[in-house]
Amino acid sequence: MANEDVQKTLAELSRDLQESKARLEEAQRVASVGHWEWDLETDVVVWSDETYRIFGLSPQGRPIDLATVRSMVHPEDREPLYQGVDQDLVAGERPNAEFRIVRPSGEVRTVSSLTSERWSSLPGDTKRDASGRPYKLFGTIQDITERKRTEEALQESSRKLQESNARLEEAQRIANVGHYYWNLIENRVIWSDELYRIYGLSPQEGPIDMALIRDMIHPEDREFVFRAAEEALHSEARPVAEHRVVRPDGEVRTVHGLGTIKRDASGRPYEMFGTVQDITDRKRAEEALKQSQFYLSEGQRLAHMGSWASDDLGIRWSDGLGIYWSDEVYKIFGLDPQNGPPNLEQYLAAVHPDDRASMAETIRVMHEQRCVCDVTNRIVRPDGEIRYVRCVGVPVFEGGVFKAFHGTTIDVTEHELLTQELRRERAYLTEAQSLTHTGSWACNLLTREILHSSEENVRLYGFDPSQGAIPFDRFYNAILAEDEVALRARLENAIREGADYDVEFRIRRTDGTIRFLRGIGHHNPSQEIGEYVGITMDITERKRAEEEREKLRQLEADLAHINRVNMMGELAAALAHEIRQPIAASITSANACLRWLARDPPDLERARAAAARIEQDGNRAADVINRLRSFYKKGMPPKREMVGVKEIIREMTALLRKEAVRHSIKIHSELLEDIPNVLADRVQLQQVFMNLMLNAIDAMKDTGGKLTIRSRLTPEGQLIVSISDTGVGLPAENTERIFDAFHTTKPQGTGMGLAITRSIVEAHGGRVWATANQEAGATFHFTLPARIEADA
Amino acid sequence: MKSPAAPTVFIIDDDRGVRQAIHDLVESVGLRAESFATGEEFLGTRQIGRPSCLVLDVRLPQMSGLDFQRRLAEAGTQIPIIFVTAHGDIPMSVRALKSGAVEFLTKPFRDQDLLDAIQQALERDRIAQQQQAEIHDLQKRHHSLTAREQEVMILVVAGLLNKQIASEIGASEATVKVHRGNVMHKMQAGSVVDLVRIADKLKLPPRK
Repeated sequence: MANEDVQKTLAELSRDLQESKARLEEAQRVASVGHWEWDLETDVVVWSDETYRIFGLSPQGRPIDLATVRSMVHPEDREPLYQGVDQDLVAGERPNAEFRIVRPSGEVRTVSSLTSERWSSLPGDTKRDASGRPYKLFGTIQDITERKRTEEALQESSRKLQESNARLEEAQRIANVGHYYWNLIENRVIWSDELYRIYGLSPQEGPIDMALIRDMIHPEDREFVFRAAEEALHSEARPVAEHRVVRPDGEVRTVHGLGTIKRDASGRPYEMFGTVQDITDRKRAEEALKQSQFYLSEGQRLAHMGSWASDDLGIRWSDGLGIYWSDEVYKIFGLDPQNGPPNLEQYLAAVHPDDRASMAETIRVMHEQRCVCDVTNRIVRPDGEIRYVRCVGVPVFEGGVFKAFHGTTIDVTEHELLTQELRRERAYLTEAQSLTHTGSWACNLLTREILHSSEENVRLYGFDPSQGAIPFDRFYNAILAEDEVALRARLENAIREGADYDVEFRIRRTDGTIRFLRGIGHHNPSQEIGEYVGITMDITERKRAEEEREKLRQLEADLAHINRVNMMGELAAALAHEIRQPIAASITSANACLRWLARDPPDLERARAAAARIEQDGNRAADVINRLRSFYKKGMPPKREMVGVKEIIREMTALLRKEAVRHSIKIHSELLEDIPNVLADRVQLQQVFMNLMLNAIDAMKDTGGKLTIRSRLTPEGQLIVSISDTGVGLPAENTERIFDAFHTTKPQGTGMGLAITRSIVEAHGGRVWATANQEAGATFHFTLPARIEADA
Repeated sequence: MKSPAAPTVFIIDDDRGVRQAIHDLVESVGLRAESFATGEEFLGTRQIGRPSCLVLDVRLPQMSGLDFQRRLAEAGTQIPIIFVTAHGDIPMSVRALKSGAVEFLTKPFRDQDLLDAIQQALERDRIAQQQQAEIHDLQKRHHSLTAREQEVMILVVAGLLNKQIASEIGASEATVKVHRGNVMHKMQAGSVVDLVRIADKLKLPPRK
């Protein structure tokens, strides 16, 4: 070959080499890979340009030796790196390493150094010393910082993925959510652990296939679950189903499944991924909540009770109440829930005008003091209906901090009206009891326990109703001792027989007054032994009225006696007229008769006629008397009863006292301590006293004097009553005739008084007589058998 | 039967027995008796012109005997009354007697007392009727006088002389004399004294 050619070829080769070198450099720069040579004997290091750049140096800026390289290796990696290299060289292996370097700028880079198999940069130039150890190394160095970071990031994210998978599993376990993959093409199913658990299986205890799943779904739900899945596959919809599964142990759980379907480019589904959540507990809680909400709302509806809460009232004072109302509150107020709860102004407008001011005040106080409220006021519904509403509110504190008011609103109209009605009824009853002096009570006489006692009942006994309940014994001890014995016997008898009772008794009030009470007890239908309900009436006035009436009746009877005495005068006068007529007629006829006979010749016919008339008139006179007797008999039927003579004397004395006083006569009695009762006709006996005392008064009419009534008993048991006067005394003659009928010494007298007296006394088995007093006047005596048991 | 002019005793008593007995007693002494149960019946049958008297019971059904007495007086019926009663008292009898009753008898009475009273009453009635008849006659005569004569009669009775009468009536003394003569004749007066007595009985009004 020619030199020229050689030169030329050399130049070409040099140019090629330069190019080749440049390309290598460029390739190294692009790939961030530099190369190096390390003469192990001299420790001289030769770097490519890229290697300089990797170490943060200008390419070929300075010679490199091992010490320089060492100094630039990260201190933490330095020793391990060189020890590793030594060991590799000793072992005859290629020392490869990854380590960090610190650039002059302080930047840390990670590099990977690989030693060529050929050890040296020149082919076939693997230089070894005698021991076979190479003394020159060739290798590359690559900046893998970015790759390393990516790797680390990958590792990190992988770790995180694992963590998050674990967390997911945990979360699914906690949330009772499992998931699955369903490979639609291979019809293979993979379950998460939790899904196994949800189905009552041990995690991954066995492969799952659709047949098994189908078996475990509740028979009633099977069809629709698969239908839903089928539908989802053929539509855009996500498969959603809530169904029940039957665990191997038989327990039924409710699950909620939610899936997504993955499709390939052609839209063909190839996988279904989904979650399954065990919502049994939530379902149960929901059911329970629903139930309790239903009960609550139903309860509110039934109770006409709503609830409310306000987080404004009590915190701010504004027109807005910040209130929540349950539906029932709206219903109570007759408002539409659609319009929302009212503000303060609207609320107060709904309150009855009469209650508005007090309600506003209540709200203000609640706001200021955050206190409990419990008020009942009237509201007016939009349709004008008035309802009574009870509003109860309580402040709610959380950790000592006021949060809100919670409360209830109750329609208490019926209750309120009933209460008012009851209150009214009770007032009426109390008034009625007060008016009638009737108290009501209920008690157990055996246990001496009072179950009820009206105010009036307490007042009847003179106690103060405002002093609270009065114990049984205080009532009972008020009863007069003399009435208590009989009363107790009556009550005990009634209790024993379980019968009603009606008793009268007296009590002594604390102020000492005595009252008559009447108690009526009805045996309680509860059949509790000794339990009675009843009333107690104050019959004191009635008793006194009865006494008064009795006195009045007595007086009337007395007046009747006086009238009878007066009537005797009338009767006698009428009698006189009635009898005088026939007598006058017969006397005149007799005279006429005599004159007819005295005629010459005697007119016998006329005389006979006159005599016949005499007979007629005589009979007529007899008839008058007979009529009188029959009248007398009819008017006074005989009556016998035990009569207290002393009582009659007292009555007659009272009756005649006025008459006596008018004539300056004193009535005085000297009576036995114990005058025995006599069996007599009370009225007739009164008449006897009346006649004799009136006679005595008549005898002293013009002079005045003293009327004395005395009584004594004879050894034979005869009661002798004597009535003395200090008057005119007895007539000198015909003393015996004073008891005859029509015998009178007085201008207005009928002459009947003493005759009647004698007739009555004798009818009672006694006798009557008169004696003249030694000094002045007369004494009339009569006897009565004091111990006659029976008489006609 | 008795003549209509015979004295009659009227009896009013509501008691039939008493009424019949008195009726019989009156007839037994030969007097005419008419009896009635009530005052009204009696008023319907009363006949004037013969002596009569009335036996009257104080107690009558419709009105008392005393009231009936007053009613008779008011009607101008003058008849002597004898009261009988079964229960009279003193004030009642005083009142009856003051009102002109002849007697007041209490039943039963003695027959002779009643008969005496009846006799007395009838006599009183007879006299009264005579006086009544005389006055009736005088009134008839007086009515026969002319007006002038009646005028002259009053002046004569007053005691005036003829001359005075003439100047009084404005006539001549002679004319007065004629009138006076007619008066004396028609009045059947024998003297001026007779004429004065007649004028008194006639209860002529005195000269003005």
